[in-house]
Amino acid sequence: MSGVLIVLALLADRLLVSSLPGDVAMVAAAVVAGAPIAVKAVNALRASVIGIDLLVAVASIGAIAIGEFWEAAAVTFLFAVGHALETATLNKTRSALAALVAVAPDGAVVLRDGVQVEVPAGQVGTGETVLVKNGAKVPVDGVVIGGTGALDEASITGESIPVEKSAGDQVFAGTVSRGGFLRVRATGVGSDTTLARIIHRVEEAQDAKAETQLFMDRFSAWYTPAIMVLALVAGVISGDIVLGLTLLVIGCPGALVISIPVSIVAGIGRAAKDGILIKGGEYLETSARISAVAVDKTGTLTRGRPQLTDVVVLDPGLDRAQVLTWAARGEAGSEHPLARTILDAATADGLGVQGLPEHTEPFPGKGITATAEGHRILIGNLALLEQFGIADTEAAARTAEELSQAGRTPMIVAVDDRVVGVVAVADEIRRDAARMVAELHAAGVRKVVMLTGDARLVAEAVGTATGVDEVRAGLLPEDKLEAILELQREGHTVAMVGDGVNDAPALATADIGVAMGAAGSAVAVETADIALMGDNLLRLPEAISLARRTVANMRQNITIAVTTVAFLLLGVLLGGVTMAIGMLVHEVSVLVVIVNAMRLLRARKYRSDDPGASARIRPPADRSVPQAA
Amino acid sequence: MSTTSAVTRTVLRAEGFSCPSCVAKIEKRVGQIDGVARVKVHFASARIEIDHAPSVPVDDLVAAVAKAGYVAAPVTF
Repeated sequence: MSGVLIVLALLADRLLVSSLPGDVAMVAAAVVAGAPIAVKAVNALRASVIGIDLLVAVASIGAIAIGEFWEAAAVTFLFAVGHALETATLNKTRSALAALVAVAPDGAVVLRDGVQVEVPAGQVGTGETVLVKNGAKVPVDGVVIGGTGALDEASITGESIPVEKSAGDQVFAGTVSRGGFLRVRATGVGSDTTLARIIHRVEEAQDAKAETQLFMDRFSAWYTPAIMVLALVAGVISGDIVLGLTLLVIGCPGALVISIPVSIVAGIGRAAKDGILIKGGEYLETSARISAVAVDKTGTLTRGRPQLTDVVVLDPGLDRAQVLTWAARGEAGSEHPLARTILDAATADGLGVQGLPEHTEPFPGKGITATAEGHRILIGNLALLEQFGIADTEAAARTAEELSQAGRTPMIVAVDDRVVGVVAVADEIRRDAARMVAELHAAGVRKVVMLTGDARLVAEAVGTATGVDEVRAGLLPEDKLEAILELQREGHTVAMVGDGVNDAPALATADIGVAMGAAGSAVAVETADIALMGDNLLRLPEAISLARRTVANMRQNITIAVTTVAFLLLGVLLGGVTMAIGMLVHEVSVLVVIVNAMRLLRARKYRSDDPGASARIRPPADRSVPQAA
Repeated sequence: MSTTSAVTRTVLRAEGFSCPSCVAKIEKRVGQIDGVARVKVHFASARIEIDHAPSVPVDDLVAAVAKAGYVAAPVTF
């Protein structure tokens, strides 16, 4: 709006003989951009903070008073642009919390005197029995006292594969039942749950971050009063009001006010073209100092989608294709998340299964049975084979154990009374994961640590394949957070890369939180300071090097701006620099600063070699991300 | 929510703070209620922590925040 008015004013100056319309438009522009700044300045004064807002407000009023409309408009406009970024960042913060809170369960089904009662999740008493049905959210932290079922714990542990639960197992509020029926004794309710602790950690971390002062605030706390006093003293001593006002206007650091935002906007713009969303200037500054990177496993180093890894044939009369076909037939009517993986693998091998089995029965915690073409198919673990009295399971047990050791999830397949083979699935490691780790090391990161809630065997397998420096497995969200704090105590500036709700506390605590945008949950993307779109891991080392260049650029700009203002003030005091000359030099310095920042926008040689780059890019709603070609 | 002998702590979540001046506004409004001992507004996470006598209904606290011009709701998690 104010920009439009400035353009109109310039046009009016060019086209019209009289300068009046142009001046009017300039003043209007200054007022439009300046009003919010003036309001901020007054609010800050009330809170006894002297900010740069005040200087800008006073100087632009002064500038208008002595007829320097263009400078008033320019300063206020550039300043308004600088502030727009901050506001956007703050709003993002809020929606992150909103998304986290959305994970929280609303109601609970409690057994009271043998009757099922629906109550709000916060009103369950500790020790009461809660029922968790298929598809429902677990309302409390607790222990399973009866029944079996599969829980999707992605919101707490980040595991992509639902976990089978039976008596004695721990369950968490905010996880979702994917089958079965559980009776749970509540041990933690409301704010005494792991989920609540995650939410609080995120809130606290964000409040702490909001309190960190920006460079501009620190600078202006002494700069503003200094300039004002200088202008006042100079005006009083010389008895020359114009001199005082000239000092005020010239001291209003036009180039300085834009030097930081313009570098940052250029850096952030460059990053956005490459599919890296950086949410604010301070994160760029911090990113330039990153020395340790903590990486979540599921969805970051791995795809977060289980893939068929093995088909082991244990029946000499059959081949691989037949075992896979039996497995696919058995799973055709199953709603288990791993069924899809097996069916997709069969289809990919041209072994597409027609129709559904006549009968499918899930045994939560064990597997499923299905009847197809007159045969009974069992797919599951040893407990399932025992239940159906299958003999001769030794080879199957051994194979399953070996596959588990290799970090995979095995499922034994039996047809009628014979074990025919074992199929195994595992989360697929991203093709560029190892390269990302190597490039991070090359970019000056000293330590790359993998953090995961997953089992150690699975974690070690991925760690070995990707070449990370350290593997920490079996972590709850709070442990991840602790790992980050530990790295920080060692003196590292830590970046955390993650994608799940469970990573949110660690993302918020790390100096820089990085979310995998394409695979990441909305919570992670919002909590993070940097979001990587398009699922390309190699963007991370790129982001770090871009941050370093941007910070260097910013320092150059600040130097240019401060030096210019210093010389001009000196010139005014010694006489010889008039308002007009001062303004001219000011504009030139602003241009120099802008041109310098533009260097960041020059495209570097762009490498795209992510063979698995996903075509389904889901940028967070309400943003359009220029997709790197 | 932790309850001690005479003070209950209620946490409300508000939506849409826009400027630090709303912090003072809310703290003043809620602080005027009889029985409220302490009000702390967290700006970045839009949380309002209130220590008050158990006799003060949570609805009154929400209403006071509404008078200051913001929508808030008590939190469970």
